[in-house]
Amino acid sequence: MANLKNIKWKHYINYVVIAVFTVVFALLSFSGVLKSSDLYMLEKIAIAIMLAVSLSMVVGFLGELSLGHAGFMCLGAYLGGKTAVILEPILGEYPALLVSLIVGGLVAALFGVIIGLPALRLRGDYLAIVTLAFGEIVRSVFMNTSNESFGGSLGLNTPRFDKSVLFVIALVLVLLCLAVTQNLIRSKHGRAITSIRDNEIAAKATGINVTKYKLIVFAVSSFFAGIAGVLYSYSNFTVQSSKFSYNYSIEILVMVVLGGMGSINGSIIAATLITFLDVNLQTILTGNLAVLQDLFYALILILLVIYNNAPSLKGFREKYNIKNIIEKFKQHNPSKIKDDEAKWDRVPTKIEMDEVLSVDVHVSSNYTPDKSEKEEK
Amino acid sequence: MKSVFKKVLVVVMVLAMVFSLAACGGNKYTSGNTEFVIGFSGPLTGPAAVYGVAVKNSAQMAVDEINAAGGLNGVKFKLIATDDTHDATKVAANYATMLEGGMQVSLGTVTTAPGLEFKNLSAEDNVFFLTPSASGDEIPANNNGFQMCFADGNQGKVAADYVNSTGLKKIGIFYKSDDAYSNGIYQQFKDNLDSSIQTVEAVFTDANATDFSAQISTLKDCEFVFMPIYYTPASIFMTQAKDTIAANAVYYGCDGFDGLAGQFEDFSVIPQEVSMLSHFDSNATEGAAADFIKKYTEKFGADTLNQFGASAYDCVYAIYNAMKAAVDAGEKIDVTISASDLCEILKAQFTGDFSYSGVTGTDIKWEDNGYVSKEAVKYTLKTANSAQ
Amino acid sequence: MKFIETLINGLSMGSTYAMISLGYTMVYGIAKMLNFAHGDIIMVGGYTIFITMSLSGNPILGLLAAVIFCVALGVTIEKIAYKPLRGASPLAVLITAIGVSYLLQSTAQIIFGSAPKMVNIANLGNVKFAGLNIPLYTLITLGCSMVIMIVLSLFVKYTKTGRAMIAVSEDKGAAQLMGINVNGIIMITFAIGSALAAFAGLFMLMKSPSLTNTLGAMPGIKAFTAAVIGGIGSIPGAMVGGLLIGVVEAVSLTIPVIAPYTDAIEFLILIVILLVRPTGILGKKRREKV
Repeated sequence: MANLKNIKWKHYINYVVIAVFTVVFALLSFSGVLKSSDLYMLEKIAIAIMLAVSLSMVVGFLGELSLGHAGFMCLGAYLGGKTAVILEPILGEYPALLVSLIVGGLVAALFGVIIGLPALRLRGDYLAIVTLAFGEIVRSVFMNTSNESFGGSLGLNTPRFDKSVLFVIALVLVLLCLAVTQNLIRSKHGRAITSIRDNEIAAKATGINVTKYKLIVFAVSSFFAGIAGVLYSYSNFTVQSSKFSYNYSIEILVMVVLGGMGSINGSIIAATLITFLDVNLQTILTGNLAVLQDLFYALILILLVIYNNAPSLKGFREKYNIKNIIEKFKQHNPSKIKDDEAKWDRVPTKIEMDEVLSVDVHVSSNYTPDKSEKEEK
Repeated sequence: MKSVFKKVLVVVMVLAMVFSLAACGGNKYTSGNTEFVIGFSGPLTGPAAVYGVAVKNSAQMAVDEINAAGGLNGVKFKLIATDDTHDATKVAANYATMLEGGMQVSLGTVTTAPGLEFKNLSAEDNVFFLTPSASGDEIPANNNGFQMCFADGNQGKVAADYVNSTGLKKIGIFYKSDDAYSNGIYQQFKDNLDSSIQTVEAVFTDANATDFSAQISTLKDCEFVFMPIYYTPASIFMTQAKDTIAANAVYYGCDGFDGLAGQFEDFSVIPQEVSMLSHFDSNATEGAAADFIKKYTEKFGADTLNQFGASAYDCVYAIYNAMKAAVDAGEKIDVTISASDLCEILKAQFTGDFSYSGVTGTDIKWEDNGYVSKEAVKYTLKTANSAQ
Repeated sequence: MKFIETLINGLSMGSTYAMISLGYTMVYGIAKMLNFAHGDIIMVGGYTIFITMSLSGNPILGLLAAVIFCVALGVTIEKIAYKPLRGASPLAVLITAIGVSYLLQSTAQIIFGSAPKMVNIANLGNVKFAGLNIPLYTLITLGCSMVIMIVLSLFVKYTKTGRAMIAVSEDKGAAQLMGINVNGIIMITFAIGSALAAFAGLFMLMKSPSLTNTLGAMPGIKAFTAAVIGGIGSIPGAMVGGLLIGVVEAVSLTIPVIAPYTDAIEFLILIVILLVRPTGILGKKRREKV
C-alpha cells in the first residue's frame, strides 16, 4: 500500500481517463445506444488526439515548429490504405488493419527522419517552411498519381472499417501513443530533448547527442501521424489528397498551441474540444447559417489566444483562475516539482530575435520556482 | 495544481459527453417527422461555394413552391442543407446528422469528390438520393443513387456522336488532364470518336493557369476545338486565342461552359463560334428554363445562377413527382415513412415508367444503373462574327 | 522567342509575388511574426477595387481606395489582434494571425456572397515588339513593382523612419532605449505591408478578373515561400525570391510533363536552397549565443 501512495498519480491520470472513456463508449456502442454521428465524432476525436500529441512532441518538447504534420498523415493514409486494399481480401479484416498500421506508421517515420535531417541545419521559421513545403509536395505527388495506383484526383478507395468498432481501436492506439510519448518524455532521453529546446548549444556542450535526439523525436512524431493517417483511411471510403493541405497542419498546430506548449494533457483536451466544436459548428450551422461557421471559429480562436497569452491580461487571468481558486483550498506542497510540463514562456533561453520559438525573459526580482507555478500560462 | 484542474475538467467533459449521448436511442429517426425531410451536403462555404449555394437556393425554391401548392396530400416538405466545403471528410458527420434529423430522401452531394463518400454512406442505410450535379461515373454505383446531370463519361459519348455526325476530318481537343470531370469526358469522347477523324490535343493542369500560348499554337490550325473544361479557363483561352485561331472556327464545350458569357463584358470580342452540349442554358429566353431563370434571379439575383441550381430544382420536383406517382399507384407514403422504405418505393419509380419534364429537359428517364437519360441540347452561345 | 515571352510572363507573376512577400518579410523583420493573414489583405484590396470600380469605373481610383482601406485594415488588425500579444510566445501570435485570416475570409463571404465577382479592369491588349507578343499588363505589373521596390529600399535606407525600422528589427530593446517609438514603427510596417498587398490585389485582378474570398490564400503561401527563399527579413531577398518563384512557375507550366507538379517543384526548390543556404539567398547569418 505504501508503494501505491508513492505513485505519481498525475502521471497516469490521462491513461485512466482515456481508458475509462474507451470502455464506457465501447459498452455504449456495443449495446447500440450510440448514434452514428457520435461514432464519427469519437473517431475524429481519437485521430485528432493522436495528431496533436505527436505534433506536441516536435513543437512542445523539441521546440521546432512543424507545419507539415498533415504530410506525414497523408503518407500514412495513402500507403496504409493501399496496403489495406491489397491485403484485406488475402488476410482478412483485422490482420490487414494491423499490417497497414505498421506499414503506414513506418513509412511516415522514415520520411520523418528524412525531414528531421534538415532540421539539424535549419532553425525556426526556416524549418517551418521546409516542413510546410514537404507536406505540399507529398500532397501534390499523390494528387497526380494514376487512377490505378493511388486514385489521382478522384482519391483512393479504401475499405471502411465497422464504425462501431473502429473508434475503440483508435482510442486504444491513442493509449499506445500516449504510453510511448510520455515514457520517452519522462525518461532521461526526454530531459535531453527538452534541454535541446531550452538551449541547443548548451545541450550540445553538456554532451547531449542533438542529432540523435532530433531524429528520434521526428521519427516517433511522424510514426504516430502515419498511424493516424491509416486510421483516417479506415474511417473514410476514400482518401483524397486535397484534405492534407497546410491548412490541416495548421489546424493540428492550433490544438497544440491552445493546449499549452509542452503539455500532453493540454493537447489531448484541446484536440477533443476543438474537434467537438468543429463538428458541431458544421452540423448545427446549416443552410443559410453555414457562412457563420468560420466566423465563430475564428472569433473563438482569436479571443482564446489573446485571453490566454496577452501579457496585459496576466493580472486578470491570475485573479479569476480556477487553478488558483482551487489552490486556495489546498495545502501548498513545495516539494512537488513538475517535471514533465516545462514552463514554456518561463524558460530563460535563446534571446536571438530570429528564432520563432524564442521567448522574452522576465526574471522578476521575486522570481521563485514555487511562485512561477502559479503564474503558469 | 494544474493536474487537479485538468482532472476536474476531463471528468466534467466525459460526463457531459456521456449525458449528451445517452439521451438518444432507437433507430427510427423519422418517427417524429411532421414534414417530409430532404437533405443534401454541398459546399456552402469555401472556393466551390457558388455551386452549393446555387443548389441550396434552387432546392429551397422548389420546396417552397411545392409547399405553397399544398405539398404531398397536405404534407409539407423541409430541406436541410449542410456544408461540406467540398471536403469528403465532412460528409459523414453531415450525413449522420441529417439522417438522425429525420432525413427521408436526399439530393446527395453537389460535387463529385464528397459524393464518393456519400454514395457508400447512403447505401449502408438504403437512403435514396438523386444528385443534381455530382457527375462522376461512379456516383450511382450503388443502386440507391441516381443522377440528374449527365455522367461525365456519357457527356463524352454524346459529344463524340455529334462530332461524328458533322463529317469533320480533323479536330482539336483542349482539356485539363488532372481534373476528374475533364479527363472523364475526354476518355469517353476519344473512345467513341470515329477513328477516321484526326485529333490534335493540348492539355493544361494548373487550376490557376493564365497563359495558354503554348496550347494555342498547337491548336491554331483546327477549325473545331472540343473543350471539356470549365468556363474560367475557357474564357482565358478564348481571349488569348482570338487572333490566332481562325475566325470561322468552332469552340465546342460541355456543361462546364455554362456561365461563359458572364466572363466577358462583351462576348463579341471573341470572333469564333462558341457552343456547348448541356442540359441547361443560363441565358435561355423561352420555355421552362426561362421561367426558372426569372424566378431565381428575382429571388436570389443572377450572381449564383448556373446549371447546378437548375438541376437541383428539377431534382426536388422529380422526387416530389415520383412520390406522387407512387401514391397514385396505391403505395402508402406516410410522413413518418423510413428512409429505407421510401428508397424502395422511389427506386421502383425511377427504374420504372416514371418520367419527368422540367427545366433541364423533357421526358427525362433514368436507366437501371442510375444514369439519367435525357436529350443533351447543343446550345449556341454565340455565332461566329463572320456569320452575322 | 517563346522562351523570352514565358520569361517575361514569369517575371510579371514573380513581381506580384514579390509585392506580397515584401509585406511578409517586413512584418517579420520588425514584429518577428508570421502574418498568415497577409494574403487575405490582398483579397480585401481586391473587393475594395471591385466596389470602387463598379461605382466609378476608374481603376486608378480603385487602387487608391484599396490602398487606403487596406492600410486602415492592416493597422486596425495590428492594434486589436496582435498588439495585445506583444511579448507573448510568437506561436500565440501565429495562431491569432490564422484566426484573423479565417475571419477576413468568412466576413468577405458573408458580405459579397459566394459567386466570383468579375472585375474587368480596362482591356489593355498586347504589345508586339521585335517578334514578341506580350500582354501589356505584364509590363505594367513588372514596371510598377520595380519602382515600388526601389522606392521602398531607398525609404528604408535613407529616411529617419526607415532607419528606425532597421533599428527595431536589429534589437527592439536597444531601439526603444534610443528613443524610437517601437509601437509606432511596427504600425508603420503593417501599413506599408498592407499597401503593397493592395497593389498585389490590383495586379492579380489585371491578370484574371475573377474575384473570390480565397483569392489571397495560395499566393500568400507562395509569397511566404518566396520570402524564405530570399532570406526572410531581407527586402532585396523578397524581390529575388518572388521573381525566382514566378519564373520557375511560368517555365514549369509550359512544359506539359512537369506542369502538374508545378507547386511541388517550387517547394522542392525551396528545400534545396535552404539546405545549401540555411538562411535563404540573401539572409543574414546570425551567430547563436548561449
